[in-house]
Amino acid sequence: MKDHPLEIYIRNKQKLKDNHVYNEKHEHDNCGVGLVASIKGESRRDIVEKGVEALKAVFHRGAVDADGKTGDGAGMMLEVSNSFFSKQVLKMGHRTSQDSILGVGMIFLPKRDFGAQEKCRAIVEYEIIKAGMNLFGWRQVPVNTEIIGEKANYTKPEIEQIIFSPKETTPDIEKKLYLTRRRIENKIKSQNINDFYICSLSTETIVYKGMFLAEQLSEFYPDLLDDEFKSKFAIYHQRYSTNTFPTWSLAQPFRVLAHNGEINTLKGNINWMSAHEPRITHPFFNERIDDLKPILDSDASDSASLDAAFELFVQTDRDMPMAKSMIIPESWSNRSDLSEQLKSMYAYCNAVIEPWDGPAAVCGNFGDWIISGMDRNGLRPLRFILTDDDLLISGSEVGMINIDEKNILKKGRVGPGELIAVNYKENKFYESSELKELLSSRNNYSDWNEKTIKLDNILSKDKIYTPSAEEKDNVFQIAKSFNLTLETLDLILDPMVKTGQEAIGSMGDDAPLSVLTERYRGLHSFFKQNFAQVTNPPIDSLREQVVMSLKTRLGNLGNIVEEDSEQCNLVLLESPLLLDNELETLKSHLSKFTTEIDCTYNINEETNFLNEIQRICSEAEQAVRSGSQHLIITDKNINTDRIALPMILATSAVHSYLIKNNLRTFTSLNVSSRECLDVHYFAVLIGVGATTVNASLVEKLISDRFKKGIYENTDYPQLIKNFKKSIEKGLRKIISKMGISVISSYRGGRNFEIIGLSRSMVESFFPGMSSRISGIGLDGLEKRVRRQHEQSFKSDNVILDIGGEYRFRTNSEAHAYEGVSIHMLQEAVTRDSYNLYKKYTSRIYSSKPIQIRDLLQFNESKNSLNLDNVQSISEIRKSFVSPGISLGALSPEAHETLAVAMNRIGSKSDSGEGGEDSRRYNKLKNGDNPSSAIKQVASGRFGVTAEYLNNCSELEIKIAQGAKPGEGGQLPGFKVTDLIAKLRHSTKGVTLISPPPHHDIYSIEDLAQLIYDLKQINPIAKVCVKLVAQSGIGTVAAGVAKAKADVILVSGHSGGTGASPQSSIKYVGLPWELGISEVHQILALNGLRDKVLLRTDGGIKTGKDIVIAAILGAEEYGIGTASLVAMGCIMVRQCHSNTCPVGVCTQDEKLREKFGGTPEKVVNLFSFIAEEVREILASLGYKSLKDIIGKTELLSQIHYGSSDLDNLDLNPILTKIDDGKIYDYHSEKKRNEVPQTLDDQFEKDGKDFINSGQKIELTYNIQNTLRTIGTKISSVITRKYGMNSLSEDHVTLKLRGSAGQSLGAFAVKGLTLKVFGDANDYVGKGLSGGKIVVQPRNSFTQPSHENVIIGNVTLYGATDGRLYASGQAGDRFCVRNSGALAIVEGCGANGCEYMTGGSAIILGNIGDNFGAGMTGGSAFIYSDQKNISDLMNMETISLYEVDNQDWKNHLLDLLKDFYKETKSKRAEFIIENYDSEIKKFAHVVPDEVIDKLEFPVTKKSKIA
Amino acid sequence: MLEFHKKKPKNPSKTEPEKRIKDFQEIYSQFDKNDSVEQSSRCSQCGIPYCQIHCPLNNNIPDWLRYIAEGRLEEAYQVSASTNAFPEVCGRVCPQDRLCEGNCVVEQAGFGAITIGNLEKYLTEIAWEKGWVKNLSSQNQFKQKVAIIGSGPAGMAASAYLTQNGYQVDVFEKNDRAGGLMIYGIPNFKLDKKIVERRTEWLLESGVKFNLNMEVGKNISFQDLEKDYDAILIATGVYKARKLDIDTSSVDNSIPALDFLIESNRTGLGDSPSNNKFLTAKDKSVVVIGGGDTAMDCVRTAIRQQAKEVTCLYRRNKENMPGSAREVLNAEQEGIKFNWLSVPSKIISDNSTATSMTYKVAALGEVDESGRRKPVDTGVEKQIKSDLIIQALGFEPEDLNHNFKTNIELTSWKTVKVDFKKFQTSNPKIFAAGDIVRGASLVVWAIHDGREVAKSIHNFLQSSKIKKAS
Repeated sequence: MKDHPLEIYIRNKQKLKDNHVYNEKHEHDNCGVGLVASIKGESRRDIVEKGVEALKAVFHRGAVDADGKTGDGAGMMLEVSNSFFSKQVLKMGHRTSQDSILGVGMIFLPKRDFGAQEKCRAIVEYEIIKAGMNLFGWRQVPVNTEIIGEKANYTKPEIEQIIFSPKETTPDIEKKLYLTRRRIENKIKSQNINDFYICSLSTETIVYKGMFLAEQLSEFYPDLLDDEFKSKFAIYHQRYSTNTFPTWSLAQPFRVLAHNGEINTLKGNINWMSAHEPRITHPFFNERIDDLKPILDSDASDSASLDAAFELFVQTDRDMPMAKSMIIPESWSNRSDLSEQLKSMYAYCNAVIEPWDGPAAVCGNFGDWIISGMDRNGLRPLRFILTDDDLLISGSEVGMINIDEKNILKKGRVGPGELIAVNYKENKFYESSELKELLSSRNNYSDWNEKTIKLDNILSKDKIYTPSAEEKDNVFQIAKSFNLTLETLDLILDPMVKTGQEAIGSMGDDAPLSVLTERYRGLHSFFKQNFAQVTNPPIDSLREQVVMSLKTRLGNLGNIVEEDSEQCNLVLLESPLLLDNELETLKSHLSKFTTEIDCTYNINEETNFLNEIQRICSEAEQAVRSGSQHLIITDKNINTDRIALPMILATSAVHSYLIKNNLRTFTSLNVSSRECLDVHYFAVLIGVGATTVNASLVEKLISDRFKKGIYENTDYPQLIKNFKKSIEKGLRKIISKMGISVISSYRGGRNFEIIGLSRSMVESFFPGMSSRISGIGLDGLEKRVRRQHEQSFKSDNVILDIGGEYRFRTNSEAHAYEGVSIHMLQEAVTRDSYNLYKKYTSRIYSSKPIQIRDLLQFNESKNSLNLDNVQSISEIRKSFVSPGISLGALSPEAHETLAVAMNRIGSKSDSGEGGEDSRRYNKLKNGDNPSSAIKQVASGRFGVTAEYLNNCSELEIKIAQGAKPGEGGQLPGFKVTDLIAKLRHSTKGVTLISPPPHHDIYSIEDLAQLIYDLKQINPIAKVCVKLVAQSGIGTVAAGVAKAKADVILVSGHSGGTGASPQSSIKYVGLPWELGISEVHQILALNGLRDKVLLRTDGGIKTGKDIVIAAILGAEEYGIGTASLVAMGCIMVRQCHSNTCPVGVCTQDEKLREKFGGTPEKVVNLFSFIAEEVREILASLGYKSLKDIIGKTELLSQIHYGSSDLDNLDLNPILTKIDDGKIYDYHSEKKRNEVPQTLDDQFEKDGKDFINSGQKIELTYNIQNTLRTIGTKISSVITRKYGMNSLSEDHVTLKLRGSAGQSLGAFAVKGLTLKVFGDANDYVGKGLSGGKIVVQPRNSFTQPSHENVIIGNVTLYGATDGRLYASGQAGDRFCVRNSGALAIVEGCGANGCEYMTGGSAIILGNIGDNFGAGMTGGSAFIYSDQKNISDLMNMETISLYEVDNQDWKNHLLDLLKDFYKETKSKRAEFIIENYDSEIKKFAHVVPDEVIDKLEFPVTKKSKIA
Repeated sequence: MLEFHKKKPKNPSKTEPEKRIKDFQEIYSQFDKNDSVEQSSRCSQCGIPYCQIHCPLNNNIPDWLRYIAEGRLEEAYQVSASTNAFPEVCGRVCPQDRLCEGNCVVEQAGFGAITIGNLEKYLTEIAWEKGWVKNLSSQNQFKQKVAIIGSGPAGMAASAYLTQNGYQVDVFEKNDRAGGLMIYGIPNFKLDKKIVERRTEWLLESGVKFNLNMEVGKNISFQDLEKDYDAILIATGVYKARKLDIDTSSVDNSIPALDFLIESNRTGLGDSPSNNKFLTAKDKSVVVIGGGDTAMDCVRTAIRQQAKEVTCLYRRNKENMPGSAREVLNAEQEGIKFNWLSVPSKIISDNSTATSMTYKVAALGEVDESGRRKPVDTGVEKQIKSDLIIQALGFEPEDLNHNFKTNIELTSWKTVKVDFKKFQTSNPKIFAAGDIVRGASLVVWAIHDGREVAKSIHNFLQSSKIKKAS
C-alpha cells in the first residue's frame, strides 16, 4: 500500500531532525488579526457575523498549501453564547435556567486512536467534576470536512465540546478552570498521548479554529451560522506559517489573545519564565500553583507562549491592560514626551518582568476587558473604528468589515506601544492615553521606584579614570594567552577607543572557521549571532535608539504575579558593561551580599575543565544558598601557574546550573573576563546569562597604549568613555539585529548558533543551543588553552603576535584569497590560459581546509564519461550569476564591465543596491548590453523606479547580506559623487542611509505583498529573495516559496562587502553549505522544492565549489569576489576607505583611471570555471549539472578536522530525504503567478488608452482585498510611453471604498488615483511620478485631521510624484522618500525617517522620533503639540521658521493644490488665515542640506 | 595612512655623484621624522601585503609602516626586529626594487612604491639612538653549546637567535674580523662598516664568543668541534670566484672581484695596503666583467680609488641585468661606462700584464633557462684598454670536505645538502645555512636562513634533551 503523503512527510521530517537539519523551533508564523466588540457589553448576533466577514477579507495575509484548500490556520474567539449553548444542553436532555452559567470546553481529541480518546475523555471529565462542575455531556461539534484540504483532513482531530455548569457561582470559576485545564494537559501529556488539545475551557470564552482558509470558518463550523450564536465580542485571526504541516493546535486565537507578529526574545522569555517559576505564589492557587507549571511549554510557538504568559498574569488578578503594559511595554526610558507618572509605572513593570519583544499586534479578551495593543516599535499595522451603534472594530487592515462611513464616529490607529480597550462593565471605550493615565495612577509607582538603588549615581561619584598604575604587569603575557594580537589591538580595539565606534572592514571573511584552524581562538568565535530575516524585522538601533534599552537589573528577583513596592527593591544599572573601578565600587557597596568565584586553577594540579566547572557551579550554589545576591565570577588570577577557564563556558555553566536548581533569580551573575575585548564577546557572555560584564584586561591595554602615546590628543577618561560607548552601541546593534530592543530580554536567551563545538559539550553547558556539525569538545578545548597558555607565559618574546585573522600575514592564518593564487588567477584570465587556471585551482585544492566544502571530496565513479558528452561551457555558464554589488561600492567602470561580460555569455549580473544609469538600458555601439539582468530591491530603495524595475528579467529582494545580515548600511557623503547622487535621487556629498529592515517587510505576509507588488510593476520578471544562511533558514525559505517567490538565493556568511563592522563580518551567518542544503531539504520536505529555483553564493571561486553547491541543492551559482579579482582586485581590503589602488572599488576619479578590468577577463574566468565543472561532471559520470542536484551520495567527508576535535560531522548537510518525486531542475520555469488585481480590468476598460494613448477616466468600487492598484497600469505606461512622458491626469482612476495595501505603488507620471474612503499600508510605495489623492467620502462628517485615512509606511522609496491625503497617516510616513511631495493632516511615529529628498507637509500632529536619519528634503509641520522638538530626533535635523517670503509663497501654492484636490477643511482654514497660521508652521531641514536649499532659511525656530 | 594617491614617493637625498666618488661614505642620507611619517603613511595597508610575501624574511612591513606613520616608533622597531636580526643592514643592502618595493601594490598601481628600505634603515637607526636595541637575554640557560663556522650574515643571525634561546654560541671565523661579506665584501659606501661592527659588538656583549683567525681544518679540526659541541652550523658562504670563459692565467692584472673588494675594505678599515699593486685601481683603466651586484660594487669602488676610467662589460643588455637597477643607476651617475651586449673574447697582454682586451658584440636571442634572453654572437669584435681586469662573474662553493677533512654530503653544485625545512644535513647534529646551502645569494636570504636554522637547532637540541632524559 502506498504511504499517505503525510506519513512520508513525517518520516522525512524525523530523518532531518535526527541529522540536525531541522528543528521545529525554527518555524515561524505571521498573520492578520482583529476584533469586534460591543462597548456596551451586549451579546449580539451581528458581532459574530462581522467577525466572519472580516476573516474573509484578510485571506491575502494567509497562505494556502499546494492543494489549494489547506490553509495555515484561522479561528475566532467568542463569548460562550448562552442562547446557543442552552439550546445544545436541551438537546442533550438537560434543562438549564436562563441565568445559569454555562461552561464549554472546546477540545481536540486524537482522531484515530479510540483508546486514547476514551482515556482523554475520562481525564477531562474527572478533572472538571473535581473542580466543582455539573457535567451536561459531550457534544460532537458539527463540521463540514468537504471544504478542507486532504492534508488538513488527514490531521484533523476529533472535535468535541464538553458542556458543564458550575455548582456554585463564585468569582473564582475561571481560575478553577484554568487550573483544571493545566492539570488535564499535564496528566494527558504524562500518559504520552499526542494530538490532544484544549482550545478553550471557560464559562466566558470559546475558541473555534482549524486548518482551513480564513473565509471558510463558518462553513467548517456551522455553529457560527446559527442565529442564536451571539457574542459581545469576536477576536479573529488568520495565520501564515512557514511550514506546511497542518497542525490544528497551532491555529489562533489561544485562550486569551490572538497575536500577529513574532516574539524575538522568545528563548530568553522562556528561560526567564522557568527561572521565575519557583518564586511564583498566589493566594488562590497556593500549593496548587505547581499544577500550572511549566507556565510555558518549551515546544510551544511564540504566540502560544505569549498567550500563556498573558493568561498567567490575568488569572492572577492583573487585568488585561496591565498585563499588556508589563509584557509588551512601550518604550519609555528615553522619551521626553511621557509623563513621569507613566514612566514610573513602566519602570515598575520592567522591575517585575523582562519584556516580550518583537513585532506584536495583539487582540485579547479576559474578564471585563477587551484590548487591542501594539509593540514598542509599531511593527504591525492595527487600525480601529468606532461606530455609532457602539461597536469597536479593530484589525490589521481597514475595510475588512464594511461599515458605511456615515456611521463611523472615529477612525484611528494603534501606534507604537499603544493600547486601546473596552471595559464591558463600565460600557466605556478607552483611548490609549486615557488608559495609560488610568493604569499609572493606580499605585504611587514613583514612590515604589525609590526603593531601587540606581548604581550609576553612586558610580558617577567614584568615576576616576586614570591609567592603571601597575608598571610591571604581565599584561602582554595574559593577552597572548588569549591570542590577542597586535592586529586585535590595532584593528579592533583602537577604533573603539579612538572614535567610540566599532571597527569597519571590507571584503568578507576568508579565514578558516574556528573549528578548522589549529590556532587558538577564543570561545566567542564559535558563536554566530542570530539575526532577523523575513519573518521579523531587525531594528535600527541608531536612528530608533529611543526604543532601545540596556538597563540592567541586579539582584534578587521576586514573585512576578504579585503587585508590591518590594518588587522595586533591586540594583539598577544603565548598561551591563562595568568598568574596572565600577566593579570595585559595586563590590565594596554591596560587599556583604557579594561572592567572588575564581575561575582559574593551578596548571600542575590533577584537575581538568570538567572538575573545575563542577567546582565553580557548586561554589556558586553554596554562595547563593547562604544569601549572596551577587556572584562575581572572574579569571583575574591567571598567571604563569594558573590557567583560566574560558569565561563563556563558565558563565553558561553557572547560569544553567542555577536555573536547574531554582536559584538563578536569587542572584545576579557578574562576569569579569580578561579575554573579553570586542563587542561580540560581551554579547555572547550576556547571551549565555551574564548580568554584567567587566572586560578586565582592556583598561590595562588602553592604559599601556595611552602611555605609549598612541592616542595622541585624547585624554584618558575620554578613551575609556569611547570604549564603553562603542561596546554599548555594538550591543544595541547586536540585539537589534534580531529585532530585540531590550537587553534584559536578550540576556540568557542564547540567541546564537554554535558552529564547531561538540554537541555533547553544548548539551551539557549550553543547553538549548544547536551545534549542527559538532566539533571541538571539552578536552580539545582544554588542550588548546593549555598550549596557548604555555606558549605565552614560557616565551621570552614580550611582543604580541602580529595576527592575521582579518588580513593575510605570512606564517599566520590561512586565507582563501592569498597572493600567489590571486596572481595566478589574474595571469590566467589575462592570458586566456586554462592551464594556468588549473594551476590556480590545484593550489587552492591542496591548501589547508578553510571552509566546510574543503572537507568534502567527490566519490570515485566507475562510469566516468568522455568530456565530449558533457554539456557545453555556454550552457553551464548560463547558471552563473555575478551577485549584487552596488554601484557605489564598485566604480562605474567595474560595474558596467561586469554587466557587459555577463550579458555576453547569457549569464546574469545583479545591479546591487543603488540604481543604474538609464543610459545603460540601451545597447552600446558595439552591440554590448550594459544593463544588469537582475535589478536589486534593497531596504534603501535607492533609484528603485518604475523604469528601473521594468528593465530586467529578474527582481531581487535583498533581505540580508552575507557580510552584515540584519544591519543597515551607510554610504558616507564623500562617496556620493554626482553620478551616485543622480542614480540614487539624492544630493551630492550627503550621507545616505539604508535601514536595517525593509520598511514594507516586517513579516512574511508583508514579503508576499512586496512580491505581489513587484510582479505587478514588471509583468514578466521573476522575483528572487536573497537570504543569508542561518539555522532555520529552511523554514523561512518555505514561507518565502509560499509567498510566490520564483528564486531563492542563499548567501553564505563569507560574502564580500564594501564596508561592514568587523564583528558582523566574522560572527554572523553561516557558510552556504549549511544553508543551501537545509533549504533544499526543507523545501523538498514541504513539497515546495519545484516551486522555486535555488541559487547560492559566498566565496565560490572554483569548479569544485560549483559542483558541490549543485550537489547540495543549488541550481544557480553566484561568483562575486572571484569576478572582482578577474577585474584586478587584489584584496587590499580598503573598499570602505575609497582608496582602492586598482580602481575596482572606489569613486575617486584618479583611482578609477587605474581600472584595468575588461569583459574578456571576466568571460575567461567564467569559461574556465565552466570548463572545470565539465571535467568534474565527466569524471563523476554525469552529462549536466542538473543531473547531480541534490545527489549527496556523490560526496563524502575526507577531513575530520584536527586530532583534538571530538567529532566533526557533516551528516547534516549530506542527509537526504526521499520524497518520491523527480524534479526537473534548471528548467525554464514560468514564474509563479499571483492573484489578479483591479488593474487586470484595465486591459479591457483602458483599451482606448492602450491603443491610442487617449486620455481616460475610470471609476470603481473597491475594498481592502484589492491591492496594489495602479501598479500594473504604470508598467504598461512605462513600457509603452516611458516613465516621464505623459501629462498630468492622463489616466485617472476614481475609487470608492477602502483601498488594499500598496495603493499606487510605483505609479508613474500621468496616472492619477483618487480614493474616496481610505487606504491601508504602503500607499505610494516607490512612487515614480504618479499622483495619489485620498479623501473621506462626503458622508463622513468627522474632522479629517483627527482621523486616520492612510496606513503605515507611505511613500517608501518614492522618487517623484505627489500624495495628498485629507486625514492622518500612520507610522513611518514618507520613510526614505527621495523626491515625492506629500501632504497629510497628521502622522504617526518615525515620520520622514531616512528621507533624502522631496517634501512633506503635515497639517496636524506628529508622532515620536520624527525625522530620524533624515538627510535630505524638508518638512513643514502645522501642529498644536507643545514642545514639538521633543518628538523629533534632532541628530541630523534642525527647526526653522517660515519667514522668508519665497518659502511662504511656495508653501501657499502647495496648500492650494492640496485643497483643490481634496477639499480639505483644514487646508481651507489655513489658506484663509494664512498670515496668522503660517507662524504655526515649523520647517524641518536636515543639517547636511542647509546650504543647498532653493531659498534661504534664516531664523532658528523658537519652538525648538 | 592610505595616502599614496595624495603624497608623492620620496627617498632621502643622495650625495651628488661628483662629491660622493671622492670618498667611501654611504651615499644616502637618512629620512627625518616628517619624511618618515609622510612616506610610511602612503602605505595602503593591504589585505594581502605583497611586500611581505616577497620579503625573504616575511617582515611585517605594513604593520611597522603603520606604526612609523602613527609615531609609534618603539613598537615599530619591536615588530621589525621580531622577524629580522639586522634590519638596518637589509634597509641598506637589499635590492628592494626586486623584493618588497618592487611588489608593492601601490607601485604596481603606478603611484610609486612606499620607500620601505629607507624607512627600515631610518627606524633601526632611531632604535639604536634611543637605546631600544637591547642586548639579548634569555630566561633559559641551557648547557648545550653550538659552534657556528663563519660569521657572515647567516652565522651572525643564527648566533643571535640561539643566544636568545639560551644556548652558548661559539663562532669560528677564519678572518681577523667578524661579519663575512658584510664586512669585507660590500663596499663602505653601501654599508658603513661601523654598522656591522656595531652588531658584532652587540652580539659579543650578549654573550656570543667570536674565535677570529680560526680556520676550520687548519687552526682547529672539524672533528674537535664535533666532539665539543652539541650542534654545529656551517655558514661559511661561497667565496670561490667563477672564472671567465677565456684564459686569464697568463696575466697578473686580471683578478677576482672579491680580492679587489676585500683589499679596498681592509684599507678602509685602517689595515695597511697589501703588496699586490694590482689590487688597487688608482690611475688605471679598469674593466669590470659581469652584471650583478658584485660587479656594481667593483666599478663603484674603482671609481672611488680614482681609476682613470671604469668600464663594465656585460653580455646581455640593461633590462636583463641580474643586479639591482638602482645600483646601475648609481654607477652610471658616478661616471661608469657600460658596454652592454659585450662578451670578452681575448686578452691582449704585454708580458704578464694585460693592456687591453677584445670583446664580441652580441645580440639577444631566445629566453634561456634563467628566464632571460640569451646573448648571440653578431660577429663584430671590439677592443678596449684595460690596465686592470676585474672578474665579477659570481661565486661558487669551495671544496668544503677537502678544507674541513670531512665527509659531509654535498650537492652536484658542491653546496651542502640539507633538508630545506630544517637546514639539517644527514648528520643530525650538523646544520648548514646561507650561501653554502643555496649558492651565492642575497644578505637577506642569509639572515633568513640564520633565523630558520636557529629554530631548527633549538628544536633538535630540545628533543635530544628529552631523549636523553628518557
